Amino acid sequence: MSDYVKYNSMSEGDAFLDPPPSFQVNDEVVDKYIKSTNDLTDQLNVKDINGCRVAPPMLAAVYVIDALRTRVGPPGGIHAKQQFKFHRPAKVGETLYTSANVHRLYQKKERNYVEMTTETRNQLGELITSGLITRIWGKE
Amino acid sequence: MTTQLSKYKDVTVGDCLPELRQAVDQAMIDAYADASGDVNPLHIDPEFAKTTFFGRTIAHGLLTLAFVSRVLSQWNWDGWAYGGELDVAFLGPVYPGDEVRVTGEIESIEQTDTGVYARCKLSCYCDERTVVKGTVVCEIK
Repeated sequence: MSDYVKYNSMSEGDAFLDPPPSFQVNDEVVDKYIKSTNDLTDQLNVKDINGCRVAPPMLAAVYVIDALRTRVGPPGGIHAKQQFKFHRPAKVGETLYTSANVHRLYQKKERNYVEMTTETRNQLGELITSGLITRIWGKE
Repeated sequence: MTTQLSKYKDVTVGDCLPELRQAVDQAMIDAYADASGDVNPLHIDPEFAKTTFFGRTIAHGLLTLAFVSRVLSQWNWDGWAYGGELDVAFLGPVYPGDEVRVTGEIESIEQTDTGVYARCKLSCYCDERTVVKGTVVCEIK
């Protein structure tokens, strides 16, 4: 019995992640991410005007993928297209919640495609990142 | 109302963003998998990857976008991190051993009621292969 999400079990408009998973932004996570991506951006080494350490903008995108991983498709799925709007960088100490909705389901060249809209907000409901992700679903 | 500009502050249509070259190896992919939590075996398990369409492991798409983010962060931190928009397609895989080259060019500058925005064409290459293509919009602050 597989525990992955079957393509035919999804419908357009469905909330894919219910409840939205949460992720804690901490120094260790930010340090590992910066090291693994070799990011030397100066602004990541100083605190912002409110005294908070900001994370690379793309880190919030990582949380989107991490959130989507809590309900996964079959192995071998591929990330095909990505839209993101970075409303502001995540900050160390924040808790992020990512919601996702199935936007569109379609087939092309005998492959199953899933488009999902995503929103990542902090514990106060402030919008950090929004996006649209297109995935080719792995073969079942 | 939108007005097309050819130049705003120190940004001119046709300008190229600073190019970035980043070598990718399996150790970097493994480190990214650890940092991101995305441990899809397609990225980190060579035996599993052999059974897939690609025949070997590939880098995470978001790792390539992290290189894009490095370019944009260093070019225009405020515009990218606070309101930047990215729209890309992943056209091909990045394999361990590849060098990713990130390039960008200012395609247009638009003045709207809310600010002045640069639209950049964006491409990532591994040698002659295009692996990511798309656009980025950042406010010029």
